[in-house]
Amino acid sequence: MLRNPCESKEKSLNQQIMNEAFFDKKDYKSLDRVDGRLKVTGAARYSAEYQLPGLVYAVLVESKIAKGTIKSIDSRAAERAPGVLAVISHVNAIKVPGYQTSNQHPSEPPVNGQPLRAFYDNNVYYNGQPIVAVVASTLEKAQFGASLVKIQYEKEQHKTDFDANMDNAVLPAQAKKNPKSPVADYNRGDKNAFVNAPVKIDAEYVLPTEVHNPMELQAITAYWEADDRLTLYDKVQGTQPTQQHFAKEWNLPPENVKVIATFVGGAFGNGLHNWPHETAAIIAAKQVKKPVKLVLTREQMFTMVGYRPYTWQKIQMGATKDGKLVAINHESVGQTSSYEEFTESTLQQTRMMYASPNVNTRYRILKLDVSTPIWMRGPGEATGAFALESAMDEMAFSLGMDPIEFRLMNYTDSDPDKQLPWSTKYLKECYDAGKEKIGWDKRKMQPGSVRSGEWLVGYGMGTGTFGANRGAAAVRAQLDADGNLLMQCAITDIGPGTGTAMVQIASNTTGISTDKIIFQLGNSQFPKAGNQGGSSTVNSVGPAVQAACNALKEQLKTMIASKGGSNAAFASAKKEDIVFVNGQVQIAGNDSAKVDIRTLFKQNNIQKMETTQESRPDENRNKYSMYAFSMHFAEVHVHPLTGQVCVKKVVCCGDAGTIISPKTAANQMIGGATGGIGMALTESAVIDHRFGRYVTKDFAEYHVPVHADVPHIEVFFVNKPDTLADPVGSKGLGEIAIIGVAPAIANAIFNATGKRIRELPITPDKLI
Amino acid sequence: MIQFQYVRTSTPKAAVDAVSKTQNARFIAGGTNLVDLMKRNIMTPEKLVDINNIPLKGIEQQGNKIVIGALALNSQVADSKLVQEKLPLLSQSLNAGASAQIRNMATVGGNMMQRTRCNYFYDTAMPCNKREPGLGCGALEGFNRMHAIFGTSEKCIAVHPSDMCIALVALDATVVAAGPKGERRIPFAEFHRLPGDTPEKDNNLMENELITAIEIPDNAFTRNVHYLKIRDRASYAFAVISVAAALHIENNTIKDARLAMGGVSHKPWRLSEAEKALIGKPASEKTFRNAAEIAMQGAKAYKHNAFKLKLGPNTIVQALKNAAEPV
Amino acid sequence: MGDNHYSDQPENESFAESRRNFLKNTSLLTAIAVTPGVVAKAAENDLGEKIASAFDKVPLKMEINGVKQQLSVEPRVTLLDLLREQLNLTGTKKGCDYGQCGACTVHVNGQRVLSCLSLAVMHEGQKITTIEGLTKGDQLHPMQEAFIKHDGFQCGYCTPGQIMSAIACIREGHAENEADIREFMSGNICRCGAYPNIVDAITEVKNNGQKL
Repeated sequence: MLRNPCESKEKSLNQQIMNEAFFDKKDYKSLDRVDGRLKVTGAARYSAEYQLPGLVYAVLVESKIAKGTIKSIDSRAAERAPGVLAVISHVNAIKVPGYQTSNQHPSEPPVNGQPLRAFYDNNVYYNGQPIVAVVASTLEKAQFGASLVKIQYEKEQHKTDFDANMDNAVLPAQAKKNPKSPVADYNRGDKNAFVNAPVKIDAEYVLPTEVHNPMELQAITAYWEADDRLTLYDKVQGTQPTQQHFAKEWNLPPENVKVIATFVGGAFGNGLHNWPHETAAIIAAKQVKKPVKLVLTREQMFTMVGYRPYTWQKIQMGATKDGKLVAINHESVGQTSSYEEFTESTLQQTRMMYASPNVNTRYRILKLDVSTPIWMRGPGEATGAFALESAMDEMAFSLGMDPIEFRLMNYTDSDPDKQLPWSTKYLKECYDAGKEKIGWDKRKMQPGSVRSGEWLVGYGMGTGTFGANRGAAAVRAQLDADGNLLMQCAITDIGPGTGTAMVQIASNTTGISTDKIIFQLGNSQFPKAGNQGGSSTVNSVGPAVQAACNALKEQLKTMIASKGGSNAAFASAKKEDIVFVNGQVQIAGNDSAKVDIRTLFKQNNIQKMETTQESRPDENRNKYSMYAFSMHFAEVHVHPLTGQVCVKKVVCCGDAGTIISPKTAANQMIGGATGGIGMALTESAVIDHRFGRYVTKDFAEYHVPVHADVPHIEVFFVNKPDTLADPVGSKGLGEIAIIGVAPAIANAIFNATGKRIRELPITPDKLI
Repeated sequence: MIQFQYVRTSTPKAAVDAVSKTQNARFIAGGTNLVDLMKRNIMTPEKLVDINNIPLKGIEQQGNKIVIGALALNSQVADSKLVQEKLPLLSQSLNAGASAQIRNMATVGGNMMQRTRCNYFYDTAMPCNKREPGLGCGALEGFNRMHAIFGTSEKCIAVHPSDMCIALVALDATVVAAGPKGERRIPFAEFHRLPGDTPEKDNNLMENELITAIEIPDNAFTRNVHYLKIRDRASYAFAVISVAAALHIENNTIKDARLAMGGVSHKPWRLSEAEKALIGKPASEKTFRNAAEIAMQGAKAYKHNAFKLKLGPNTIVQALKNAAEPV
Repeated sequence: MGDNHYSDQPENESFAESRRNFLKNTSLLTAIAVTPGVVAKAAENDLGEKIASAFDKVPLKMEINGVKQQLSVEPRVTLLDLLREQLNLTGTKKGCDYGQCGACTVHVNGQRVLSCLSLAVMHEGQKITTIEGLTKGDQLHPMQEAFIKHDGFQCGYCTPGQIMSAIACIREGHAENEADIREFMSGNICRCGAYPNIVDAITEVKNNGQKL
């Protein structure tokens, strides 16, 4: 009955079985998500779902001009509306003590400028800026009150049009100060090598503004438990970075600020920063002396919590006729706000991915009257990969080479940028296996050669890479007499399945079955952790879990050995051999070495054994270049008359070290591919520059992929440990899951149609 | 949302009376569009008259026409065996619209009454003559990728968003409405309006009139039909362009044809001249291309929607091809 | 395109709002607006509340997850906000509030609908089932089990809506093949992108043939 372009009656592969089979021989098995039951029953509580006594509601009113000053705010009608408790703006907001100084986020990149301050003064920096908060006894009354607020402005000429203002792009201040900054101009080899290259590509690429748009609206419930004690249920990616931020902002000792983010309904980067709406809720809670809940609207998600910046890129690529890269010049201009310099690593992979002797990169930012961007999944690397991997495809086509052959021809076994060996790199394995799984042999060099009925069929590929980052983290581990293990860490889980992976690491380290291990997270009062971001969680928190588990073993070993006798074997046992089975401590391979934990604890007169261990990156980071890699293949069908694109199949391979949690890891790769489909085909936040205001700002206008856009996605992993990167051998995969997907699809569309689309998204109008 | 008075009624007369008593009162059925617009302060009725208890949900054959009650749900109509058998084009168009949940809420009458999705209409910070006559049309010189190419005016270039209505205009439906002065029938093609100087009026329903039913005459378009919707993602998006195509083919000759377009005008756009060009011709790509060219006569593009001048005819051709050779 | 200002644009924040006088629109508010400003501020909110409760709340009976509820709500309260903010049934999620994401999907008399686009008062006498109403004691619904088994979610925020929608999708007969599932589940957005796993979960429950 339906005639969806992607309709297919054929039964596709069963994802899970395939992934299971791949992991059969490995240490880590697929485990159902440890918080799955809470999520499927609706019992998982997100930031707006804590019903505190006396809770009231705040709704934000935003600016409707792009630049200028507020002349007046008429709040009389709102104040008189039933149930309204306060109408708060710069006119009457209490002073935020930290606003007297800088409120730079402790975990922020070295941005320059002043983050936007809530209700601070009468300046309007962009359209959609929070100006007023209306607080009322119910949500409906707060919403109605907000609709009554009248704001008069003194307007000034604004600039929001990237293309019209691109000439004003500047070198970021951090690069001016520090020529070694990652965003400073970069040169390797001969600056002018491109000019004389035998085969050349010279092309410009545009990525529109994209918005994270997690399903959960940004929400905060702020509660002053005392004048100097603040509790926040906040949708953030880091509880402790948020704690530090607001402790500083409110001039409080950090221990007086508690941040809870047990469940985070997606974030993709927009929770890596603390935003004015959070401060607005805290101010409101202080002023009305009640807990305040503030949830952004979907439109406000476009202007108050960051986005992936509109980015223009230009690539000049030169090669010899037999396919050796001679030169890559890669330029990028990304937009930022007028008050803050946001930068990202758009050009990093161009410096290290291929063995080009001559590379120049040039990164600029363009200040516009818009809000500040923030990293969005894959961040700059995903943007950069669209240009670089498209250009690689263009060059391969010019050379008459297979795109994989061309990449292999320019493969590099060490990092040409840092001039260090890779810790690990198994990209060739990815190419080999991926080729087979996508059916690369069906691809024809000449575009438009393959058809399925009326539809043009194309195959494309893209490579991704992202730094195998690692930070310091600590984990508290507590073993009880029944052999249950409780662990705690302040890290958040925005969706990848952190708790599940950590339980698996603990189980793998101790032998305790996964159902007897609990990993608690999302609370600033737990041991140290930074943000969940930059694909660094497993690599940072995982080693701390391992360290805490090993420390418990050492404690047990000492306790057992101190008793002498038959337990002497424990004194010399290696920690790897000590395992916990059914409430007993055992030495693997030694049947007589068994100690009952309950008895041991009784003998030593303890209820529990506890330790907190911190793990930090080591000196290997200076000796090796550490990156995770990925490979994405896409098969697309394009309708020649209507321009409809159907992504028929995606194959993704991750080189991300040891895969701790196969099931959630595969899901994360699928999610990255889905994000890449959106980036390639559907997503774009458009501003009407006459008003400096977004015109596509809800899910009806800003199109994220739906079920019907996404085919079965085949995921596989190299799954070889990288113990140089961290002791658990893992490299993150949240970013590499999306980096390289959009160019794989764009390249497949070229292969299908012969149309090279360099401005995303590739909507039907661009293909007819 | 503003406070409003809420009443429930169970007969068309009571509903019409209730809505006539108050200025700025509205009927509410599924609410899928009205509640959305009220949340955004685009529509601010002081009174809502809930008509869901009125028994207008039937779908039945009455003589030589199928009569669908105005409160029949979109999903109910799409899944109706009678509709699937005798009006497959209508079923297809309904399933192309919105989502399963919305189709479970939205009624046939409400679907006809839905407002445009123009970005400027939808944002009270933007100018829009439809929302507030006299403010100017934001789309005319603005982001008008989704906008109309037929029947526009300087006042408004918005498009009608429904899929169902595109099929209904093709199928020569009639709207039955009850008002303070009794019942009347409006040919579907005359129900919705072009914007002209009064873009605030979407249709020709009179004040306080209630749609009670849609009547669709029996036809021969039971096999060779296709509703083709081109959108910016595979599902759950408004049409960039859509085409309702219905053919009656005998011995590869087109005996009768119906053709209408969505996403191109302020009203469901019937392509009568193109239909004439199809009748009596062989069902071939050449015939279809010729009809598509005729269909596009008079089209006028704006800055961001010029692609519709090409996508439009291509979609017509493809819809006709799909109709001629159903899967 | 340059940054030219739109010539007709007044200095006011909004074209429409400057002309629209909400106070005129509601008699209730008119009553408050004419209250002399000298009335003590503290008393004003109470007065507002009293008027609101006297005029604006409507009695409402409905059955939610098998429990009969007698409520009194403002007509403007959506079913979603009633569930989340007044009844503490926060399993039903708000993802957009405009009927564009499906996170708020619940069953009304067994049919899947969007609770965000539905005024609570329109459900007088109806049976509402939310995600909290699926489990029988400790026993998960087969669809909940399948979502866990196939890992049909990541952050979990769209999950209740996906599950409510998935059950209805099978009941409606729209889960006959994967293409149908994808089409008829497209009203439920998952930004984490767990779609293929969700399709697997639904396919399995469908193939098991249990009555849902």
